[in-house]
Amino acid sequence: MSRTLLAVDGLGKTFASRDRGEPVKAVDDVSFTLDQGETLGLVGESGSGKSTITRCLVGLERPDTGTVTYDGFDVLRAGRDERRRFRREVQLVFQNPYASLNPRMTVEDLVGEQLLVHQGRRSREGRRERVVEVLEMVGLTGAHLPRYPAQFSGGQRQRIAIARALVSEPKVLICDEPVSALDVSVQAQVINLLRAMRRELGLTVLFIAHDLAVVRQLCDRLLVLKDGRVVEEGSREQVYGAPAHEYTRALLAAVPIPDPAADRARRRHYQESR
Amino acid sequence: MTSMTTSALLRRPVLRLRRMPKLDRAAFAMVGLLLLTVAFGPLLAPYDPYHVDLGQAMLPPGAEHWLGTDSSGRDVLSRVLYGARPTILGSLCAVGLSALIGVTVASLAALAPRWVDDAIMRICDIALSLPIMVMALGISVALGPSLRSAIIAMVLSWWPSFTRLARAEIRTTMTSTYVESAVITGVSRWRLMTRHVLPNSLDSVYVQVTLEIGGATLIMAGLSFIGAGAQPPSAEWGAMVESGSRFLTSAWWTAVVPGAVITLTALAFALAGDALRARTSGREVM
Repeated sequence: MSRTLLAVDGLGKTFASRDRGEPVKAVDDVSFTLDQGETLGLVGESGSGKSTITRCLVGLERPDTGTVTYDGFDVLRAGRDERRRFRREVQLVFQNPYASLNPRMTVEDLVGEQLLVHQGRRSREGRRERVVEVLEMVGLTGAHLPRYPAQFSGGQRQRIAIARALVSEPKVLICDEPVSALDVSVQAQVINLLRAMRRELGLTVLFIAHDLAVVRQLCDRLLVLKDGRVVEEGSREQVYGAPAHEYTRALLAAVPIPDPAADRARRRHYQESR
Repeated sequence: MTSMTTSALLRRPVLRLRRMPKLDRAAFAMVGLLLLTVAFGPLLAPYDPYHVDLGQAMLPPGAEHWLGTDSSGRDVLSRVLYGARPTILGSLCAVGLSALIGVTVASLAALAPRWVDDAIMRICDIALSLPIMVMALGISVALGPSLRSAIIAMVLSWWPSFTRLARAEIRTTMTSTYVESAVITGVSRWRLMTRHVLPNSLDSVYVQVTLEIGGATLIMAGLSFIGAGAQPPSAEWGAMVESGSRFLTSAWWTAVVPGAVITLTALAFALAGDALRARTSGREVM
């Protein structure tokens, strides 16, 4: 078996409700592991706790309970060097590339920032060389270096965001709904890019989505979340072939099928199985 | 998305000038003219503004003295041209320094623990509850009335308003995804503020600075008029209005000319600031 790279154990986070009502349990006792080289899908409707898990993982939110272990060390209580390593090796691609890129920074500065922070010793030319290399990997060119995010389309911006994440040669890539803010026509391109990057760089991927059709293309294993809890976990074949939980079946039934006849047949099937 | 940047506005100035409404154009032209006066006024002045000639006192505007002379026979036009420096440059200094201090304090507050942030903002609230003119008057008199005291007094009483504005903008920017992205990257707090937060927060501060220069000119002249700012016989517009006001019936131009210039200056900067604000809010970058 491959070794476990990232382990989340008993993660919990409760938010005080805005209008002083009941506190909201955004994440409730969630545990999962991410093995080296695999792609794990985290699926659930909005409000199911997907984003909170992501935010806890990268340190934007401090979980109330639970531990996050990366490559043998406790991330939440890690020392300075280990935290730096975690920041370099675990990267996040945000959902909305219109919001995740600083509008006042050029592509060169955006993509090169990781290098500046983590490998400050590299010269400006050395950094540029690496930035161009990564840009070409994601389908952009060195000609894009001096441009600003506003000069790019959504798909291109997400490519820049991916380049920004890949520049420090990470081992784990967390993708927080990386295509849901994009046009359908562009989604496939970005998915294919992520797939190619995973293959070429041997990335371990945590893929967060609400769209099961997208997840199906990418993930080896799936975790289905509802109201902050894991309701189903299994391989892709298990979850898509024989969903165990009622909620998973409902989610699957909501995936549109382009062929109306097949869609009707499936709906009938779903109704009868209830 | 983000509002249009001030730098983007300056990028194609000629094109933008042509598309501008007449009033805005007039305001910007007036501001430009005033700044030219600040720079070159003393070179253009036909007479020495401090040359006293009692034989030439209180001459009405005419061919020799375009805007007349005051009670000591000094040329009013020359004094107005010289006076642009203390009044406008003084206001620019006061507002610029206030903005600088305000933004710095706001940045520190944003990075500090919650209670420090709260404490700083409450102090600003208290300071803002006093009218700037009253605060500045008190401080300036306490320091000993002079132009420098007036500037110091204005900075001391003005920076909290910029802190408030900047803090609100910074708070919004801090929650944006790109700032979170930078935090995850692990950038230093210095880099976070200077590269990510401040460049995306200061547009409204720039606009506010422009808007406030007009008001600052009024306060600066006001302080001098009361006697808490620049002292006679220095050629400062407020002081000139004060010494001229005693001869309003016999030599109206000695008070009305500097007064009109103060009004025009305040109006021009206020209109220009307004135009800038209209142009920078709710527009796409590029």
